[in-house]
Amino acid sequence: MKPRPLLAIGIGGIVVGSLLPFVWFLITSLKSQGEIEAVPPTWWPSGGFEFYRSALIEHHLLDYVVNSLIVAGGTTLLALLVGTPAAYALARLRLPGKRWLMGGLLCISMFPQIAIAGPVWQILNVLGGLNTHWGLVLPYVTLTLPLAIWILASFFAELPVELEEAAQIDGCSPWTAMWRIMLPLATPGIFTAAILVFIYAWNEFFFALLILTQPEKQTLPVGIALFQGEFTMPWGELAAASVLATLPLVLLVILFQRWIVSGLSAGAVKG
Amino acid sequence: MSGGASIGQMPENRERVTAWAMVMPALAITLAFALYPVVQSLLLSLRRQFLGVPALGDTFVGLENFLLLAQDPVARDAFLRTLGFVLCSTILEVGLGIGIALVLHEHFRGRGWVRAAALIPWAIPTVVASQMWRYIFNDQFGLANLVLYGDEVARYHPWLASPTWAFVIIIFADVWKTASFAGLLVLAGLQVIPDDLYDAAKIDGANAWQRFWHITLPLLKPALLLALLFRTMDAFRVFDLVFVMTQGGPGDATQVLQFYGYKTLFTEGRIGYGTAISVSVFLAIFSLSLVYLRLVGSGLLGKDAR
Amino acid sequence: MSWKPDHPAVWDEAIQAFTERYPHVRIEREIAPHSSTAYHDLLTQKLKNQDASVDVYFMDVIWVPEFAAAGWTRPLDDRFSDAMQAEFLPSTLQVGRYRSQLYGIPSRIDAGMLYYRTDLLAKYGFEPPRTWRDLVHQGETILVGEQSATPTLRGYSAQFKQYEGLVCNMLEIIGSYGGALIDEQSDTARLSSPETLAAIQFARTQLLGPMASRATLTYQEPESLAAFVRGNAVFHRNWPYAWEIANNPERSSIAGRVGVTSLPGSDGHQGVAALGGWLMGISTLSEHPDEAWDFIAFLTSHAMQRYFALQAGIAPSRTRLYNDPELLAANPQWRSQFAVLQSATARPRSPVYPALSHIMQRFFSRALAYPDLDLLPEARRAEQNMNRLLDLTRSEAS
Repeated sequence: MKPRPLLAIGIGGIVVGSLLPFVWFLITSLKSQGEIEAVPPTWWPSGGFEFYRSALIEHHLLDYVVNSLIVAGGTTLLALLVGTPAAYALARLRLPGKRWLMGGLLCISMFPQIAIAGPVWQILNVLGGLNTHWGLVLPYVTLTLPLAIWILASFFAELPVELEEAAQIDGCSPWTAMWRIMLPLATPGIFTAAILVFIYAWNEFFFALLILTQPEKQTLPVGIALFQGEFTMPWGELAAASVLATLPLVLLVILFQRWIVSGLSAGAVKG
Repeated sequence: MSGGASIGQMPENRERVTAWAMVMPALAITLAFALYPVVQSLLLSLRRQFLGVPALGDTFVGLENFLLLAQDPVARDAFLRTLGFVLCSTILEVGLGIGIALVLHEHFRGRGWVRAAALIPWAIPTVVASQMWRYIFNDQFGLANLVLYGDEVARYHPWLASPTWAFVIIIFADVWKTASFAGLLVLAGLQVIPDDLYDAAKIDGANAWQRFWHITLPLLKPALLLALLFRTMDAFRVFDLVFVMTQGGPGDATQVLQFYGYKTLFTEGRIGYGTAISVSVFLAIFSLSLVYLRLVGSGLLGKDAR
Repeated sequence: MSWKPDHPAVWDEAIQAFTERYPHVRIEREIAPHSSTAYHDLLTQKLKNQDASVDVYFMDVIWVPEFAAAGWTRPLDDRFSDAMQAEFLPSTLQVGRYRSQLYGIPSRIDAGMLYYRTDLLAKYGFEPPRTWRDLVHQGETILVGEQSATPTLRGYSAQFKQYEGLVCNMLEIIGSYGGALIDEQSDTARLSSPETLAAIQFARTQLLGPMASRATLTYQEPESLAAFVRGNAVFHRNWPYAWEIANNPERSSIAGRVGVTSLPGSDGHQGVAALGGWLMGISTLSEHPDEAWDFIAFLTSHAMQRYFALQAGIAPSRTRLYNDPELLAANPQWRSQFAVLQSATARPRSPVYPALSHIMQRFFSRALAYPDLDLLPEARRAEQNMNRLLDLTRSEAS
């Protein structure tokens, strides 16, 4: 293949641009306290995991990670459980008002969080869901359902109709058809939706800030946003915490890049 | 997506019942945690309720809050600022997104890794990204100053202390965070453009630029509009960036609508007025989306795309 | 119950001491964010939604009127006798009152102070500055002299970010020029008075830029203190807590070279310190008001305030503790700062304070961030907006 300078520049730009801030935080997290406070900043850290130790032990970072895992995992499971049949019905079955439902879903994804935050808070207050993880999972499921249904429906719509027709003739109900035939075929779609929902729930900040007020329940974004030392700005610990918060996502992206790309583009292709 | 395909053999009634049963859980959760709060908010925005002044009571005042809002210069500035933010960031994001998509669409060794790298900004929490950029533009320890001025410490610039720069940096951070998302939507659009179109154009002697301008761009239109739609909806609700990086300052330079609404509603306790602000954010997004949807076509709503 | 999360170990011990004395009371501790505003937003969210799970909470000195007007907090006059009240600093009791009823028991007091580098001032033969003009003069001289030795040295570091702390910083500068944020008599905003405008003009032209780095427009307490303890500022404005850190060799490169004095005044006007601090209150919704009161009485008792002062360096709200030899040995600066703590100036006391504060934050931040901005019309507009809010509460009173 002949060398393509423009492409090389593009690739270089994407890689450097995307990774640069992350790398700077990585470098920062490996510095010593003296190097953190050096002006001008040093380029290379002397190495050392002091800030990781401090972030993990003194700032209880692991608790935040566990909370985030519970919330993001719970959200993903519930969103799929609820979203899959809905997507199947919307993609495959005759349903009066289908357009309205899809339009409504789109509308929901437009609503600013602050506008629904107050009432959501009140509902959770009545249900006893404040400062609980499920109390955060419920609004997250609501907010991610449009995306999940969107992706799943477009995957279902891709699958050939003939299979189900065959199943119907054999006397299968739509439930069985969905469960036995469509689900296995739609695994890539489900997987993609799961990753996207997970990432959303892992990253969401506003509701988490409002609903979880006890530090031992809080998720990573809240922990990191409110990360402030008692007396000084602990940049080293913050960098270490951010690297640790980001690492799972970096892994997720590297492992499942293909699925994410196809999932995000699912709506666009048919749109 | 397609909703047209349907299974013929089944009695229509039974199919409908099953379909509703399948949709029901999703519908229930949405009604409880989205529709009810939305309606509640709409109602609240028509009331006068100010927690610090209980004597004002809690009364229905019609559109009073919205009339006040229309005359509130801070809200007007915040609205224009938000609009500016949305405009700059979405245009840059989609523009960069096209570039990213064109690169990622090419075949080269290690493409998977490059795609993964491009996805990282999109995948990490906005809060983390905000802290990263805040640190990079720090007045003393920032990478920006180090790269620009090396060890000439005296020239180090406090970026976020300048109203103009603070606004630019917020846009910059948003573009960095989401250009790759726009890029992926565009990439999807690129992938459905048949190669023979390009081959034909090549035979006609069109150069790369002409091929891009006359084939790629027009065929990308739906994907571009979709990217614009998603980005506009999201950019209008910018909050995390401002919360972490500037708290609206300096001198209100980064006071966006969503943050103004948050402060009015949650800090000042002006429930009616604050809700009216957030409802206006919604209305603005909604009307913009309608414009886009008209441009994209109703296929988005799953009527019959094929 | 909720409070700010400083000194967790000290608090744990205090709570344990309480439960040993009152074994039937179980204390559940909920830790709130560092930022007072974030804490305010979370707590008011709970209270306005009738959440009965919080019995006792801390109130920043500026919250009492709002909490009282909204009916979230109980009047405590019956429980807190005049004899008990007499043992506290009057200024801290004053901010606990709203319309002659007492809602908050003072637990700690804060006031703005001026920290300075004793070594640098001595080197150039200066006494701690009495006026802002002195401060600028000394700062300029020292900066010129130290330029080659410490190029990063600046004259002043303080909190000028657009947030609540900005109101405190500006209240002090304005007050020391003889101005005020709100006219006590008429209960109207006074941002456009000549004294106030002169003070702001001083801050934006002589303080910000020549003395303080423009980066202070992004500084809250931690960043500004960090600049000082790294040896990058001659003068530093902060609350009492900064003393311990600035003199702690593990955290500060200038330990032992730090002095503290009252904030400067101007010709004909004394320096003014903003009053801060925390009060304890009982929620109206509490189902255990008696136990809550026991807890408050315990934590604000002489013995416990002494304990907190010794263990955590928290400035007590009880007058007599400022004569305690052991306390003064541990915190020698309290001897000289007692007058400052006693005379500190409260921010406007209004049930709509958060909204008033936002208007002032916006005005001050704009004035500082845009050096060419015409101040008078901006001040008038801010005044108008504040007065509109103040009118609301006045009409309620009548």
